[in-house]
Amino acid sequence: MTTFVELMLNGLSMGSVYALIALGFVVIFRATEVVNFAHASLLLAGGYFIASLHDDIGFWPAVLVGIAGAAVVGAAIEFLVMRRYRGSDHSVLAIVTIGVDILLTTELTRRLGTDVLSLGDPWGDSVLTVGSVSIAYTRIAAFVAAGLLISVFLLAFRYTSWGVAMRAAAESPETAALMGVRLGRVSLGAWAVAGGLAAVAALFLTVFPTPGLERATSLAALKAFPAAILGGLDSTTGALVGGLIVGVTESLATGYQSELTFLGRGLGDLAPYLVMTVILLIRPAGLFGTKELTRV
Amino acid sequence: MSEVLARGRELRSRNRTRLTRPRTYVWIAGVVLLLALPFYLDRFWLQAGLFAMAAAIGAIGLNLLTGATGQLSMGHAFFLAIGAYGYCVFAGDGEGGLTGLGLPTWIAAALAVGVAGIAGGLFSPIAGRLQGAYLGIATLALIFIGQHVLFNAHDLTGGSNGRDVPPLSVFGITFDDSELVVAAVPFGASEKLWYAGLVLLFGCGLFARGVLRGRPGRAMNAIRDHRIAAGVIGVPVARYRAGVFVLSSMYAGLAGVLLALVFQRTVPDYFGITLSLEYLAMIVIGGLGSVAGAVAGAAVVSLLPQLLTRYSDALPLVSAPGTGGITPGEASRYLYGAAVVAVVLFLPGGLASIAARRSRPKSGHTPGEEQ
Amino acid sequence: MSSRKSKRVTATATALAALLAVAGCSSKTGDGEGDKEDAGGIKTGVGVSAKTIDLGVLTDMTGVYATLGKSVTQAQQLYVKQINADGGICGRKLKLTVRDHGYDPQKAVAAYTELEPEVLGFAQFIGSPFVAAVKQRVDTNKGLVLPQAWSSNLLGSSYVRVIGSTYDLETINAIDFLMKEKGLKKGDKLGHVYFEGDYGESALKGSQYMAKKSGLTVVEQKIKATDNDMTAQVAALKKAGVKGVVISAGPRQAASLVGVAAAGKFDVPIIGNNSAFSPQLLGTQAGPALAKNYYVASPTLPIGADTEAAKKLVADYKKAYPEDSLDNGVTAGWTAASVFGEALKRACESKDLTRAGVDKALLTIDAYDNGFGVPQNFTDPKAPSSKESVILRPDKGVTGGMKVVEKPFTATAAEGYTAGG
Repeated sequence: MTTFVELMLNGLSMGSVYALIALGFVVIFRATEVVNFAHASLLLAGGYFIASLHDDIGFWPAVLVGIAGAAVVGAAIEFLVMRRYRGSDHSVLAIVTIGVDILLTTELTRRLGTDVLSLGDPWGDSVLTVGSVSIAYTRIAAFVAAGLLISVFLLAFRYTSWGVAMRAAAESPETAALMGVRLGRVSLGAWAVAGGLAAVAALFLTVFPTPGLERATSLAALKAFPAAILGGLDSTTGALVGGLIVGVTESLATGYQSELTFLGRGLGDLAPYLVMTVILLIRPAGLFGTKELTRV
Repeated sequence: MSEVLARGRELRSRNRTRLTRPRTYVWIAGVVLLLALPFYLDRFWLQAGLFAMAAAIGAIGLNLLTGATGQLSMGHAFFLAIGAYGYCVFAGDGEGGLTGLGLPTWIAAALAVGVAGIAGGLFSPIAGRLQGAYLGIATLALIFIGQHVLFNAHDLTGGSNGRDVPPLSVFGITFDDSELVVAAVPFGASEKLWYAGLVLLFGCGLFARGVLRGRPGRAMNAIRDHRIAAGVIGVPVARYRAGVFVLSSMYAGLAGVLLALVFQRTVPDYFGITLSLEYLAMIVIGGLGSVAGAVAGAAVVSLLPQLLTRYSDALPLVSAPGTGGITPGEASRYLYGAAVVAVVLFLPGGLASIAARRSRPKSGHTPGEEQ
Repeated sequence: MSSRKSKRVTATATALAALLAVAGCSSKTGDGEGDKEDAGGIKTGVGVSAKTIDLGVLTDMTGVYATLGKSVTQAQQLYVKQINADGGICGRKLKLTVRDHGYDPQKAVAAYTELEPEVLGFAQFIGSPFVAAVKQRVDTNKGLVLPQAWSSNLLGSSYVRVIGSTYDLETINAIDFLMKEKGLKKGDKLGHVYFEGDYGESALKGSQYMAKKSGLTVVEQKIKATDNDMTAQVAALKKAGVKGVVISAGPRQAASLVGVAAAGKFDVPIIGNNSAFSPQLLGTQAGPALAKNYYVASPTLPIGADTEAAKKLVADYKKAYPEDSLDNGVTAGWTAASVFGEALKRACESKDLTRAGVDKALLTIDAYDNGFGVPQNFTDPKAPSSKESVILRPDKGVTGGMKVVEKPFTATAAEGYTAGG
């Protein structure tokens, strides 16, 4: 029982971090209908800013600068690359983000070299123990931060003019543009927000129990893909639920791998994708995604 | 739609005047050059060329699916793996505790391609239900499943160290390193496979061109451009989408078989997500929806890193590994990323559109529709 | 249509005939350079000219083994520089040609194909799946390959020689250490966290063998190189009630495992294979926990060992690469290069610098020690060059971050162990 609770808690907290990354995907997808494969490098960029600055300016300022920095990188991608594309095929744009990702990741990993950078967070490796269950403070912080940010975004989508503009743009770009929504600004904002969220996620991906920021950190983005999809690519609630499902699935599949040996060992990576495939078979637009009403 | 149909007629009428065009002679010169290369190039270049040919076959398949029909697939590497490992299983002799059926190798190759097609067919119910980005990421699941199976199904795949690939043997010629001297040039595995690769690539290219230029091709483009409208005018959308998925998987399977023969050993690490992304990069760089584009893109993506590594000493800014500075590996990553971005932004039709633009200066076509 | 086709066929056929006629001019005709004899009566072959001996290095500096690849390559370049400063071997300078394959099978095989016709042998080849991929060709062309991988699957060829104990033997020695020194006893459960792939599975063979020999039960946890958070693994091992843990993974996974275990008061000894540590980790959050409760089994003494050779290497390496950290990759690269150098020197003595001559010379080396405490014996191609391991533990104060806690030894169980059995 203790193990189960520990695995669940761990899964939920990791899941909330995945949800942050997935939310970034969703925001970009809603605003521009582009699947952003460059998210992995945004993660790395955010983490890199925090890791290289915290020694000089302290942890909290470094986090703020990191978030801002990653947001600028995201906005720059939108401004310098995405906006320049003249065609209309969204899968081509998705492939462009792969190119951007290769460029950014190569640059960042070259800078990182073979180092493992510490992020200088205040939580260290301390652990909260309640009864026989223990959980790291970093994980609690991750959960709280992700929860707060996601609620803020849900509210912002609903009640701010930016949120309304964004939803309008997602609904019908032409109509929105005619109504005076500046599509360029909406999509620039979406990319910046996604960058900022990625920086926060990078922070929690690289603190205890992981040793620090290094070149493989960006691979966590691969876990946010199924999270974003199974929740529904255009649904913010979906990103949250999807993230949590992925986190918990991964944690349980790893923790109980001895009981699951008939599937082969080392299922942690695979399990989220299996769950995703099953959900997509039942609901092709994800759990909360907008169903396409056209049928032929 | 009508524009597409009209262009089909136009294409057919242009065929008749082909003999008088210089392009035919360029083609012949190219073919002669390709046939002559094994007599002059050393194994490294032949192998690089073979990698490019295999990549080209796979890229043609992906271009049918993603370029022509608009179904984003990130699972291409999975079908390549099925082709490569399928061939080993069918042709292997069961040595070393690995499953091997010991079939004649050319049957094994054909069966491997068939199995890749069946795998594509099995996935098509999922593929048929999903659109755009959803499909792209659902196909990512195939990569993860594939890697898991390749590492764990030890009897079939040999686990992490992979398994040996039995050499292909057709019409009494065995494509291995046993030397065959042709015109005083010793022919090893690469030289012999070169011709097999050329034949396969040529056949695959012609077939795909036939598909794209004929009725199916127009239906596929219609599905890509407007799925609902295509359905309304009577294109059996679901059947076409499933069919293209199967066909593209078979192309990938064949590319996998050829790759396995070149490698002489299959290793699971190869068939990862990077490979899938490389194939997507190939068709974007080359030009979506065209056979020539797929071939050009495959050549660029698979030869560029080799060229950079080989001539790293002569390049500015690039330094040999271990001496600091940008390594050839990094340099080729930069170039490759930049190429993808630059092509999409500045050359929306890919490399294929350069040739198309030259031969047809005035036609106002949309990207991805030439041949 | 058909007339066009037939015309094309005729053209192609004519071209083919012409082609065969001119093929005689190709440089590929004839069987190229055979073995020659130079003025001093030394037989030479591929990769050896009157002035240089060319060696290949197939490394990974941009992929998953970038950390290892960089250290190994730099150490080998340092070795070559020093040998050349002393006049080279056999009156010839050594020359390394480095190719970075970034752990990509296609690039690795291509790089091998490129360098193979030009070099005498390979002083480094990272990635055991790729070594396995070209093994058939190595057996035909007989160019010596020294892989930087310690998998038992690589044993058995006369031309692919593993230096130092393989992962399975190392794991046996590591568990032996836990049983002798850390209170692990018969009937206990032992956790084994291992990488999917060659490294982890080779190590798993060792722990399974040792479990059978010593009455332990192995609780397996397979992970991937992308897993960086070991919380779930620790929870599972804790639940199973293991009394000790072996980790056959990368440095980051080891750091996470040790950190999580320490934070959760899961106080069992943890030991890793030689690839499961890097000195960079001591500067991270996990540093203190690693120094407290983590051991590493290694095939040789660490870079910070108290021997003449180690001290000289540390000083020279620091001078040549002041910004780079000293880790076990430096030792491994240096050792491999010096083994190759030793084989070349012996081949020179018997006046045979051909590939066959070098292979033969290597087979005569039976107790080569380059100053890292473990004699290497290359007389049996079926066995690794040593069965010994050294037990180290992290210590921030020492060069390279590791100090010796147990001198080189071979577990009794390891003596009777043969890979594959």
